[in-house]
Amino acid sequence: MAEPDDQKLDLPIREYLDRAFDERRRLGMLTGTGTDRDFLRAVAAQGWFSLAIPESYGGLGLPLADLAPVFAALGEYLVPGPIVENCVLPSLLVERASAEGRSALLATVEDGAPVGLVAPHTGSTWADQLGSVRCTDGKLDGEMSLVRFGEQAELLVVVANDERTVCLVDPRTDGVIVVADGKGDPGSSTATVRFRGASILGGPAAEGRSAVALAAEIRGWMRMLVGCYLAGVARWSFDQTLTYVQQRQQFGRPIGSFQAVQHIVADMYASTRSLENMCAAAAEDLRDASPQAVDLRAACLKAYAAESARRVCENAIQMHGGIGYTFELSLHWYYEHALALRSWFGDERDLEREIGFAVLAGGAARNTTTQEVAG
Amino acid sequence: MIELETFRGEARKWFADQNLPVVPLDIDGRFEVLRAWQRTLFESGWLGISWSTEVGGRGLSPVHQLVFNEELVRARAPQPIGLIGLEVVGRSIEHYGSDWQRRELLPRLLSGEDIWCQGFSEPEAGSDLASLRTSARDAGEDFVVSGQKVWTSWAKQAQWCALLVRTDRDAPKHKGISYLLVDMSSPGITVRPLVQMTGDEEFCEVFFDEVSVPKRNLVGEINAGWAVANHTLGSERGSYTVRRRAELEVAFDDAVAQVQSWSGGGRERVPDRVAAALGKAQIALQVLEGQTRKTIDRLVAAAGPTAEDSLDKLLLNGVEQAVFESVVDLLGPFRTAPNLAPFGLEAERWIHDHYFSRAVSIYGGTSQIQRNIIAQRILGLPRG
Repeated sequence: MAEPDDQKLDLPIREYLDRAFDERRRLGMLTGTGTDRDFLRAVAAQGWFSLAIPESYGGLGLPLADLAPVFAALGEYLVPGPIVENCVLPSLLVERASAEGRSALLATVEDGAPVGLVAPHTGSTWADQLGSVRCTDGKLDGEMSLVRFGEQAELLVVVANDERTVCLVDPRTDGVIVVADGKGDPGSSTATVRFRGASILGGPAAEGRSAVALAAEIRGWMRMLVGCYLAGVARWSFDQTLTYVQQRQQFGRPIGSFQAVQHIVADMYASTRSLENMCAAAAEDLRDASPQAVDLRAACLKAYAAESARRVCENAIQMHGGIGYTFELSLHWYYEHALALRSWFGDERDLEREIGFAVLAGGAARNTTTQEVAG
Repeated sequence: MIELETFRGEARKWFADQNLPVVPLDIDGRFEVLRAWQRTLFESGWLGISWSTEVGGRGLSPVHQLVFNEELVRARAPQPIGLIGLEVVGRSIEHYGSDWQRRELLPRLLSGEDIWCQGFSEPEAGSDLASLRTSARDAGEDFVVSGQKVWTSWAKQAQWCALLVRTDRDAPKHKGISYLLVDMSSPGITVRPLVQMTGDEEFCEVFFDEVSVPKRNLVGEINAGWAVANHTLGSERGSYTVRRRAELEVAFDDAVAQVQSWSGGGRERVPDRVAAALGKAQIALQVLEGQTRKTIDRLVAAAGPTAEDSLDKLLLNGVEQAVFESVVDLLGPFRTAPNLAPFGLEAERWIHDHYFSRAVSIYGGTSQIQRNIIAQRILGLPRG
């Protein structure tokens, strides 16, 4: 059995999860809000959220690309919660935020307070359904739906004014109203966040072109790391399936001896391995890449992850037969969470269109197709 | 060994200075032009890059070979005619061949003086290659070969054939096969061309009627040809995938450039469906790029053929078909009009390349065979 390559940072995280993330705890989150404040506090103490924080602010100063294997591990263990927000947003914003904003961000790194991202995060198909936020003279107005952990968040990062302003807001401030959207994903809960003249924390973190660039960076790293998480979901679903088809007997032999089954398992393996290889290649290339380069690579990765992880999960359920469709096994949790993550920051359908226009516009896109063989 | 980037620079400069050949469509014209092109490449030291110097190669790494191929493809230069010899059969002769075979045959293979074909598939032995029935009888000095091969590219033009034959009818089927090198001018060989879906006609049927083959043309041991055949097939899967990747990337770049020149660079004229199709192809190519990095690692480590090659080939099949299906779908009703160019896309070329993409999941082992190999040899599932 071939192992995924490029495992580094994830080892201590896997060890911690083996020790501290038991099924009872996970089920509590999956059937509850999709997170658990004590768990976030505990993993913050483990240093999860400071991995990519610059050293001058007490972090390890790693490039976000190095977190790729960590998120693959989180996907394998199906760790729910705002882990990606809490890893990415403070790291990208800490140097740009106002003094008040910076201390609020560093506090989340310290104790794991959930960070919510209020940003246009669907593909273009649903853009008009989501809402929008304006920021004028340090006051926010408007609303945004489907904010992950909107109710639990203790700090919000808001992308406003068509990505021309990025700012921070304390959700307990006057003029912030949070309404749950209902819970359709075991791994998260979302809310609609409304602003009625709510004051931002200090000044904006970025405005104008630098805000557009920052919003693109946020989007790029969310796509990249969620893509890696989905690779972990695919890996776990595949591994379960490979074991099961060798155990389950029908017609007097293991179902894994039937060619109809073998071909589906082989396709699941090809999807899983190629997604893992794509994650490893992106992690390698994006360590010190320009933000523009991150944008297109991450979009391609997320698009493939959205499609292939979904397919692997569906085939895993199919290969397990009746029991795969029940709560007896965990397959459905993985599938349901994969479906939710699939659409966050674009599914393959919307991303195909976005990538196509980016390629036609030239620039960064062309470099990725002419990737050179190197020693 | 010369640095890769220096080597790439030399290749790029060389191509920039060349008058690239114009390749005619008719098969005889095409053959002659591409054979002369092979001679030019050979004389400039660009063939056999990773082969040992004793057989006329340059003794560089397989990665140098891949770098050169990338530069060739990006220069829009055609491949030399003897690709089957250069990339598939020749590598197995270099690995398993006798001193005589390597010394006598490989230099002429490199220069294009000898063109090679690959006599593997038979009418009754396609996916079940090991059930092949073309036989070689021991007649003292020689083997005497009788039987039929099919889908043999370039057999009509070839001087030599790497032929799989049955030498022991009583042994289990994988253990009675030998690998022979057959001079195509030998008496008793008849070649009949077959026309493919693309309209190209390099495919052939080859009939062997009591053909004498000297015993020194046996590669490796008698009845041990299956391992050599698998080495050949490995090249047709793993390193082929890396080479093909460069070709697909260039084809995609050309499609994008055609749409760009039609749209004038703006997005106003570009329908969403056109962008989505190109995006889909781009994603597929990015998947293949990530996958082939692992292939290159194996080539650098000189890992030899493994079941992992089947994973590469299976993914290539999907990617190649996704790329050309995406582009050809944009022709829509214009696919019936090869002279036109909707959205700037030159219909004739994309129709040809799309048809050719239907072959990728058949040659070098069908996608179904690759799945069997993955399931049984990588994943360890039991045979049914």
